[in-house]
Amino acid sequence: MRSMSHARYLIVGVALFLLGFSLAVFAAPISIVDDRGIAVVFEKPPQRIVSLLPSLTESVCALGKCGALVGIDRFSNWPKSIQGLPKLGGMGDVNIERIVQLKPDVVLLERASPVIARLHSLGIKTFALDIKSMGDEERALKKLDAVLGTTESGRVWNQIKIEIMRANKLLPSRGENIRVYFEVNPAPYAAGRTSFIGEILSQLSLTNIIPESLGPFPKINPEFVVQAKPDVILLTESNASDIQGRPGWSAIPAVSKNRICVFTADQNDVLVRPGPRMGEAALIISQCIQEKLSSSR
Amino acid sequence: MKTRQLSIYRGPCAILTDLNLDIPQCQWTSIIGPNGAGKSSLLQAMAGLLTHTGSLTINGVELSTLTRKDLAKKLAWLDQGSSNSEEFGDSLSVYDTVMLGRLPHQGCLHLPSSADHISVKKTLQQTDAWRLRHRPLQELSGGERQRVLLARLLAVDSDILLMDEPLANLDPPHQADFLKWQENLLARGKTLVTVLHEIHFALRADHLIMLDKGKLHFQGSSQDPRTHQALIALFDGRIRLEKLGNDWVALPN
Amino acid sequence: MQKNYFLSKLCGLLILSVILVVLGTLLGSTGASWNVLGPDQTIVFDIRLPRSLGAYLAGALLGLAGGIAQSLFRNPLADPYLLGSASGALLGVGSILCFAYLGNSWLEIIGLNGGAFLGALIGVLASLFLAGGYRSSLRLLLSGVVISVILGAANSLFTFIRPDLFQSIQSFMLGNTTLMHWSGVELMTIALFLCLAITLIISPALDALSLGENTARTLGLPLDQLRLVLIGILALATGCAVAQTGLVAFVGLAAPHLVRKISGGRQRVQLIFSCLGGGILLLSSDLIARTLFAPLEIPVGIVTAVLGGLYLLVLLRRTPFGGRS
Repeated sequence: MRSMSHARYLIVGVALFLLGFSLAVFAAPISIVDDRGIAVVFEKPPQRIVSLLPSLTESVCALGKCGALVGIDRFSNWPKSIQGLPKLGGMGDVNIERIVQLKPDVVLLERASPVIARLHSLGIKTFALDIKSMGDEERALKKLDAVLGTTESGRVWNQIKIEIMRANKLLPSRGENIRVYFEVNPAPYAAGRTSFIGEILSQLSLTNIIPESLGPFPKINPEFVVQAKPDVILLTESNASDIQGRPGWSAIPAVSKNRICVFTADQNDVLVRPGPRMGEAALIISQCIQEKLSSSR
Repeated sequence: MKTRQLSIYRGPCAILTDLNLDIPQCQWTSIIGPNGAGKSSLLQAMAGLLTHTGSLTINGVELSTLTRKDLAKKLAWLDQGSSNSEEFGDSLSVYDTVMLGRLPHQGCLHLPSSADHISVKKTLQQTDAWRLRHRPLQELSGGERQRVLLARLLAVDSDILLMDEPLANLDPPHQADFLKWQENLLARGKTLVTVLHEIHFALRADHLIMLDKGKLHFQGSSQDPRTHQALIALFDGRIRLEKLGNDWVALPN
Repeated sequence: MQKNYFLSKLCGLLILSVILVVLGTLLGSTGASWNVLGPDQTIVFDIRLPRSLGAYLAGALLGLAGGIAQSLFRNPLADPYLLGSASGALLGVGSILCFAYLGNSWLEIIGLNGGAFLGALIGVLASLFLAGGYRSSLRLLLSGVVISVILGAANSLFTFIRPDLFQSIQSFMLGNTTLMHWSGVELMTIALFLCLAITLIISPALDALSLGENTARTLGLPLDQLRLVLIGILALATGCAVAQTGLVAFVGLAAPHLVRKISGGRQRVQLIFSCLGGGILLLSSDLIARTLFAPLEIPVGIVTAVLGGLYLLVLLRRTPFGGRS
């Protein structure tokens, strides 16, 4: 009888010890290095999050922690569930008072944000992430996973890859690559290969007429576009004014056969924001291109 | 030139009230008075630069009935010289400056005719500035500049010359030159009306008009002793007049 | 003797202009290629020739406007934008961009170019109105500054509310010759001939102004009406140029100074030369802007500022400015 109670005490003691040990492990503060190279320490996963960048808002929601958001910036507009949250301004006019009132556990922003020092002096924790390319987003998802205490980043990234593959399948597999020109701005500023949009175009095996050497968003001589003769031209609604009227552009096959993809403002948001919706961006582009190419045969 | 009940108002203030003046032809009339008496305003009214009420006639013709061009041909204006040269931009040559005096005689397109060229040459020679004709105005000395502006004045070929403080910014040698030109002009039958604040120069004129606070104090020949009395009274007895050779000089009392 | 010099200088400037236009057809997105016999020759002429001519004409309009502004206000710092035309044009462009989604047919007819033109005119009218007329130059200058500041603040507010339009507005602000087409060239040619003809006829009034306002009036010139006409021409020329190329900096300010040494003082000559000088300045800047990093393009306003500024610097160091030497 005596050995039995001893054993029982031992088992309970070990169980208690293991319980305590695991609690201690899970309650251990985690330290993650953000994009500034600063190690930010979290005692526990933050429950109140302010996000000052649309890509970060979308990434947090993609990882399933939309409910933890208490404040967003003026430009965050997806998903619909966050649209009622307090808007804390844009890049130049962050409403610091409001942020302090919301008592966030962490503020997510970009490295170049001018309010970092001010927030620190008020004792608010900041975590900086710069998302300018696909690789940046992958890295950011993993880091946010660690910060938020979730494990969704792998699944989200896989989802993105699946969507990109689907987008690829939509495009007709031609011997020669499809030449595209993405215009960001009627100055004209074009999206180069190293920009986020350019990366998506590369993922879809589309040939960007802008060579890599010109950088992410070059101000291009329109003559160059005429000489490069893209097959499809991609632009946003607000820049679509009168592209056929441009001198000499009617000779471009994309213009004469009306292979011009015009994206709405909402679609444009998806296209230019490097975020978890990049799969959707690939789908938008490939759907439009497939439609234009097949209709003008 | 005659004025009858000439008045000039700026807003509610009267600058000149009810002036009745007679300015004789072919003589030099000088307008003097203490500061703020309205001397420049009177001269500007005579030039048609200020609107007036009352009558202002030249040889019997009412000023307001003349066209702008006709008026410009009848009288010429000389502004007060400035002590500093033009700060900005005017590299207009002497010849072109004098040619500006021919503007009233030119047509719409203001292309100089041969008559204009002849006149410019004549006046430049008269004022001894012909050799300067290609130099830009800003490169000239004060005296040379005055000669050129005088040539411009003469190029208008008008009978009446109106001058606002022409001697103010000149040093004595140039003042002497200027007075000599004036005598020349009088000899050729021009009518001169000048605003002066130097009394001793004013006393060399033929005719004096004295203004006090916008009203006529006295007008008369400069040799007339009554004029001298009036002059002393104008300055509250703070001056006295002495004859120095042929000239009268005003000295503080 | 002087007349011959004028003709030879005029010919010199005209020849330089022609050379630059020809260069304009050779230089393009392929850098300094002298190979004109490419397969897309017609396209290249459809793009390069109107662009070169357009840049020249816009520069000429701005140069003329700048010359008028400096002579009218007797101020070496005057430029065609000082009566609120620049801020007005910017606001016009911003308004059209902002309300484009309404799809109003009026807005489509007016377009961006029309918006800039109307905005410039409205800016000048506002300055005239604020100054209570054109009689006092100083009042007009001051009210022009006030209007520019007010409209500039309105523009900043605009870009704050609609940050997505910021890049489009900014490209307008820095000047843009890239999308010049033949109809724009035709418009500017008509405007230039009209403005130049009227200005040359009434420019002796500006000469007379140098003798003082009283003197100028007594020489029989209807100064008030002439001043109003000149301001009108200033607004028209600036509006036309800005409507086609945006707010190119410095051309209106620098062109009259650059030609002042060779113009010999008479306003007629000075204004023609300012006109040609402005065209030469803007076209050269456009050539540099598109050739230096081809196919990348530098905003042409940056090049005009650098070119014009450097040359003015050289001039300033060489001669004592103002006063007798």
